[in-house]
Amino acid sequence: MDEMETRLVRCFSSVFPDLTAEQIRSASMDSVPAWDSLAAVTLVAVLQEEFGLQINLMDLPELVSFVAVQNYVRKHKAVS
Amino acid sequence: MDPVNLVEALEIFKRALPEDAHPLRTFLACGFTPLHLQTFLAAHLRKRLPKQRAEVKTGLFGDLAGSIERLQPSECDILAVVIEWQDLDPRLGIRSLGGWRTTDLPDIVKSANQAAARLEQALRRTSEFISVCVCLPTLPLPPLFTTPTRQAGAYELQLRQLVASFAASISSESSIRVLNTQRLDELSPAQARLDVQSDLMAGFPYKLPHASAIAELLAALIQNPTPKKGLITDLDNTLWAGILGEVGAEGISWDLDQHTHMHGLYQQFLGSLASAGVLIAVASKNDLALVEEAFERKDLILSKESVYPFEVHWSRKSESVQRILKTWNIGPEAVVFIDDSPMEVAEVKAAFPETECIVFPTNDYQAIWDLLKRMRNLFGKSVISEEDSIRLKSIRGAGVLRESLDATGGSLDDFLQSADASIRFTFAEQAADNRAFELINKTNQFNLNGKRLTEAAWKTYLNDPATFVMAASYEDKFGPLGKIVVLLGRIQRKSLRIDSWVMSCRAFSRRIEYQSLKQLFEKFDAEEISFDYQATPRNGPLQEFFTELLGSPLTADMRLSRAAFSEKSPSLFHRVEEAVNG
Repeated sequence: MDEMETRLVRCFSSVFPDLTAEQIRSASMDSVPAWDSLAAVTLVAVLQEEFGLQINLMDLPELVSFVAVQNYVRKHKAVS
Repeated sequence: MDPVNLVEALEIFKRALPEDAHPLRTFLACGFTPLHLQTFLAAHLRKRLPKQRAEVKTGLFGDLAGSIERLQPSECDILAVVIEWQDLDPRLGIRSLGGWRTTDLPDIVKSANQAAARLEQALRRTSEFISVCVCLPTLPLPPLFTTPTRQAGAYELQLRQLVASFAASISSESSIRVLNTQRLDELSPAQARLDVQSDLMAGFPYKLPHASAIAELLAALIQNPTPKKGLITDLDNTLWAGILGEVGAEGISWDLDQHTHMHGLYQQFLGSLASAGVLIAVASKNDLALVEEAFERKDLILSKESVYPFEVHWSRKSESVQRILKTWNIGPEAVVFIDDSPMEVAEVKAAFPETECIVFPTNDYQAIWDLLKRMRNLFGKSVISEEDSIRLKSIRGAGVLRESLDATGGSLDDFLQSADASIRFTFAEQAADNRAFELINKTNQFNLNGKRLTEAAWKTYLNDPATFVMAASYEDKFGPLGKIVVLLGRIQRKSLRIDSWVMSCRAFSRRIEYQSLKQLFEKFDAEEISFDYQATPRNGPLQEFFTELLGSPLTADMRLSRAAFSEKSPSLFHRVEEAVNG
């Protein structure tokens, strides 16, 4: 697990405290009942704070799983 | 202050709360989606109050005044209200497209006035039952006014005046505490508050650091920590600049001409504290005659009368502090010690670890300024009571009383007979003021059971028709002591049940406790009084009183009959008065 993934898991863990690290890595909106719109907004705020990103909330529909979030952060972190 | 980011707040939030801890239920009322503000507030409360079960609940969003009006006081212990401009008129927010035409501006001001009046009424009503903490609008007004943003226009100024008047008005209620916007400005820059995207997309208008700053200050307002009671100060290079023993009384200074003005500000600040009931004492290694000469100077900002006692000699500072604490009859945790010598500060700190010990930063203007602000936080209180204004006088009186008792060879009867003492008893609403609540929660030695009450529990008790509150104020020829007894109880036919009974230690040795019981028997025509007694590590004086009165070991449900009291009560010499209208 690289440093970015560790930080991502921590972000997810703060929003979904009941999930283990393993469950987080395979998490998606479909598999995690607690991942509602409120949790999605909170997750975006946590990611912005942790990675210093400005995430457009219009991109929320893309961020539907841990893997998707990971790809999004890698892409935008590289750009910023 | 201790900033917390959202990840930390969420992690604090998910920690398990102690099961048996006392709950603190805060209702957060705001017109926008509370989202992260709720998380931050819960986290800051849990950091500040780790031994309580701090929970933050919210109601419906979008109708701030309505959610306060609908709130049932039994649902929570504290109400935290966060107002933003759009709560006064939706057009003052950015989610509404109600119109910013010049012709709309007078109507916006008018409707804001109406909304503020409604809010004020709701807050006043709620504050009758629970404490309320209010945060005034923090976000920038949108650019709806016709003037350029560098210029304040008439309508904008009217809105700001409206909020200032609203705040001044509600702050007159003792149960309403208003968050200081000046302090928030220090923590959260104005340009880094509004998150436009979040406001429009999620209904949450704050950038995260701003939400955290508001929550941090609100949590501090909710906690409302007990202020320190006394300040012990050094003299040389602290209260004034210069070493008295070297330059003499005329050589010390605290003025602009000699660049020692910060010592004058320090004196002025101590004078302010003294006028608000904070006890001020001097602990100085010095020549007493010289100190007396210095305090005769007419230009000294801190008057000699504001200071008691003076501990001026060459013994250790910790000995001085010990004697001052004994004179004041308060614990080391309730005082602040200030000295310019790090060594003296360390010596006092070693002897009294609970005492806040501060090195006076002589010659560092900014550090002295910061120290004054820090002290205002340590000593600040919401309300200055009548007792605050007479505290020093009554402590001086207690000193005289002790000396007089020594002089009369310890004959208490003779002394009390000549004391010209009067006790004024009050009941119900007249008795149940802030001072009564404060006494219940800070008195240790003469305390029936050591039980403390939250503000909500206090108000619930007062609103229970089966209960009564009795308070007593005392005065004798040595001066007034103010309100020094509070007793909470309930009437059960011909008997009384006492749930709480506290008496200030300043009132010992005057038989006020006997007079209080006598008053209870007579007022309620009671045949028996039972007491919810519990031994605590510090209520020895109360235990001694009851042991003597009952002549038997104390129990959790001890009882005293009217006949037994009459037999055991010593002679009482007070003039007794029952207040009719307060």
